[in-house]
Amino acid sequence: MKTSVTLLAAAFSLAATVAAQAQDCTAKVGAMGPMSGGAAQWGLAMAGAAELAAAEVNATGGVTINGKKCKIVVVSYDSKYTADGAAAGANALASEGIKIIIGPVGSPEATGIKPVAARNEQLTWNAAYAKNALEAKYPLVFHIAPGPGTWSDAMVKHALKHFPQIKSVALVAPNDQGGTDIASVDAVAYRNNGVKATEEYYQRGTTNFAPIITRLLATNPDAVDTASSPPGDAGVIVKQLRLAGFKGPIGRMGGPGTEEILRVSGGMDVLKDFYWFETVAVTDQMREIDNIYRKLLGKEPVGGTALWGNLPAARMTMKAIVNAGTVEDAAKVAAELRKLPVEDPNMGKGLWAGQKQYGINQELFFAFGVGIIKDGKEVGIARIEPTN
Amino acid sequence: MEQFLQAAVIGISLGAQYALLALGFTLIFGILGVVNFAHGGFYMIGGYVAYSCVGLLGLPYPLAVLIAVAATAALGWVFELFLLERLIDDHLATLMLTLGLYLIVSNGLLRVFGPLSMEFSFPVSGSIQFGPIYVPRENLIVLGICLSAILALWLVLFRTDLGRALRALADDRQVAMAQGMRPKLLFPAAFALATGLAGLTGALVTPILALSPGVGDPVLATSFLTVILGGLGSLGGAALAAFIVGIVEAYSSVYFGGSIGALVLFTLVLLLLVFRPTGLLGREIRGA
Amino acid sequence: MARLPLAPRQRLLAWDEATAIAVAVVCFIIPLLTKSVLVYSVLNHALIGVIAAQSVWIMLRMNLLTFATPAFMALGGYTVAIAGRYEITDAFLMTAAAFLVPALVAVPLGALVLRLRGTYFVLVTFVLSQIMQLLLFQTPDLTGGSNGIAGIPAVTLFGTEMISHRQVLLFACGIALIATLIAVALTRYFRQHFAAIEENEILSESLGLVVWRYKALGFVVAAGLAGLAGYSLVNMLLTAHPSSFDSAIAVDFIAYTIIGGRESILGPIIGSVALVYATHAFGTQGQYAQGLYGVLILVVILVARGGIVGTARLLWRRMRGPRA
Repeated sequence: MKTSVTLLAAAFSLAATVAAQAQDCTAKVGAMGPMSGGAAQWGLAMAGAAELAAAEVNATGGVTINGKKCKIVVVSYDSKYTADGAAAGANALASEGIKIIIGPVGSPEATGIKPVAARNEQLTWNAAYAKNALEAKYPLVFHIAPGPGTWSDAMVKHALKHFPQIKSVALVAPNDQGGTDIASVDAVAYRNNGVKATEEYYQRGTTNFAPIITRLLATNPDAVDTASSPPGDAGVIVKQLRLAGFKGPIGRMGGPGTEEILRVSGGMDVLKDFYWFETVAVTDQMREIDNIYRKLLGKEPVGGTALWGNLPAARMTMKAIVNAGTVEDAAKVAAELRKLPVEDPNMGKGLWAGQKQYGINQELFFAFGVGIIKDGKEVGIARIEPTN
Repeated sequence: MEQFLQAAVIGISLGAQYALLALGFTLIFGILGVVNFAHGGFYMIGGYVAYSCVGLLGLPYPLAVLIAVAATAALGWVFELFLLERLIDDHLATLMLTLGLYLIVSNGLLRVFGPLSMEFSFPVSGSIQFGPIYVPRENLIVLGICLSAILALWLVLFRTDLGRALRALADDRQVAMAQGMRPKLLFPAAFALATGLAGLTGALVTPILALSPGVGDPVLATSFLTVILGGLGSLGGAALAAFIVGIVEAYSSVYFGGSIGALVLFTLVLLLLVFRPTGLLGREIRGA
Repeated sequence: MARLPLAPRQRLLAWDEATAIAVAVVCFIIPLLTKSVLVYSVLNHALIGVIAAQSVWIMLRMNLLTFATPAFMALGGYTVAIAGRYEITDAFLMTAAAFLVPALVAVPLGALVLRLRGTYFVLVTFVLSQIMQLLLFQTPDLTGGSNGIAGIPAVTLFGTEMISHRQVLLFACGIALIATLIAVALTRYFRQHFAAIEENEILSESLGLVVWRYKALGFVVAAGLAGLAGYSLVNMLLTAHPSSFDSAIAVDFIAYTIIGGRESILGPIIGSVALVYATHAFGTQGQYAQGLYGVLILVVILVARGGIVGTARLLWRRMRGPRA
């Protein structure tokens, strides 16, 4: 009896010391992306990935900085899918001494943050599909996944296999870099495969898509592709397309967010025929991520497959932080990051890419997926392996 | 031709929504002389109250809409009676008060409901086909309710004693008060009537479009546009202008895309404000 | 210049104006004392707010509440951003341009909108800032449209690139000092005239004051100051983007001015610094700051009309009262 009390006391004091040590030192890391508006899901997925990766490191004792064990804390910032939002965010995070940022997400944000983060000597990631997502003159910028230039051709071929009736397509996307840089590349891929493509751009922030849909349908397309429209917008577009009597397949060669589209548009029966680019090739191992998330963070994951897609980048960054033993020296963390193999416990093996397209080899390239819904039933997600 | 008719359908349903908003806005200006910067706030409250009733309490949608109207009207009444009333003759002060209220409301909603759009959709879906053109059922219902509300408002203002008293106060407060009208009672009533209309619009329109803490900003801008075009304080003008704005918006976005239509409208309104501040049908109501 | 006969002894500077200039000068010392990025960030935002709020304040001196500040900020900011494309980055040249371009645009615009008073003026300025937003979207070749202009080169002062944090902040201090000097010079020189217009425009006109001349002057200078604020903002972010100049930010500057106190130039200064700091203290993003502004505006309008400065002055007098 006495021994057990002593043991208990010892355990308590040990726990107390561990807790005290952990509280002694916290290492702050930033997460950034749109956390409100139509693209909110993408930003929340970015923050979720950062929080999960940090929780995993903290569960194994945290990171050792100057001989002290430190807990990683994630500070998130809503960059609102705008260039100035991301630029202001880089400064705001810098004001808290944060040098490592998981995020932002989109093209406008990536363009806005680059010069400011360089001034602040911050390491950033982005998931933008912009033509200048990476640039050799910004060595502290890393890219989460390849853009449409890499996968749109394979995507179109796969979609045409399932929906051979597509002879013409109308692409719809926002009228800023986050839309135009993707839809224009998609259009080329369609044309290369013998499909007539027209592009239609709307003002980001639009809530009523009825006029745009009227314009889209005026060209009588066989299919409509929502490209990189934010998931919230794409959901409304799908709903209103079907209300307008459009019966053809709807595509999405842009970003993740099929779940959100399903939710907003009103479900499988509304979606009916749908093909989409999936940033990750979904496997059971990846579904497991949601369970880990629930266990470590005690809440429901937000962001669907986008969270899974961002996770390898967040995990590798944490590993690089642990190896470098600092969160304050971005260049050192970047150097460690470049040394790591592209590998993830859930996602499997990938490659470092980007040299060919951007002149700098700082892009993660994992297997990606092509999802198909036919007659309101999910056919499945095909896996396409990465190649350089 | 198809496109032309389809644009007309879009324009008319937009016009009806704008009319409800603009009528409330112009009523407040005409009777109280207050520019209500919180109008978009009441629209949002209407949407969120209806959402909460349906999504959280499980009430039927029509009941939720009625509760939303009652809630926004009550809030408008209280705000007028306890805050606006004290400074009712100071235009800049009342404007700042409504601006302050708007900031509090939109931020409060952000705090309570978070930044994401709510999952809130209209209970009726599908559309009716008329030859080549289609009309979504939800738009048809909203159009019907909007037109009935406009008619009801007209009846209240022109066929009841309350309406006569309100119009008298709008025409000339001194004379109206000398004749025994009681602004202390009537002003909050007018304000509540107007904010209730904004709440009604919010409860009807947000499930069709979107419900998030940012949706009040464009409402204010559109109300401004419509009310200035129609003539500040003029009810008929506001209704007419609302349909003009809706139709111009629909045709310009169907035929030119983008925001060129909005630019044309705003520029038109700027010129109108400068050269004919009384708008299309307005007359100088108060020396603002 | 028509001098009003009622001008009493005119001191060169009142105590509050001297304090305002002193505050702007002291600001230069801060970047040399600390390297805290937190201080830099808050101060940089506050300095931009100070300039924009002074622009609002000048208009309020004539009893005109303006929502057009973001429009003129955009003119100043985009002027600099577009010049940057042609590698024109000289600090003096660009400061002059950021002031003059919006000021020149304000001349014909003022002729139009200054005919309006009170509520109608508020509405027309609100419409102006909406139009500016739409114009930015409609001119992608010039302004980059929805993308804005990103990656603007840093400003050069005497041939040195002002690229580091400290340099950017020092430059922001410089712009704020210039703006404060301009605002003080204008309102000091024409103090009586502005006071007369604020008190009773129609009466002062009938007493022979050429009201439109001073209103136009105030409008033009306020536009120029807003342009400087836009320059400072663009220089901080190295990006000119439509959302930086959204009409909604006009509300922030109005809040700074009203809450700080509209009766003295210290009002916009103290209001900006206090509220920017409070915004920061409320979280990285200040998501909840707008609600705070709302509450403070209600408090100021209902119970403390003088804002922070006015209330402080009142308390000071009350405390000294019994002795006097």
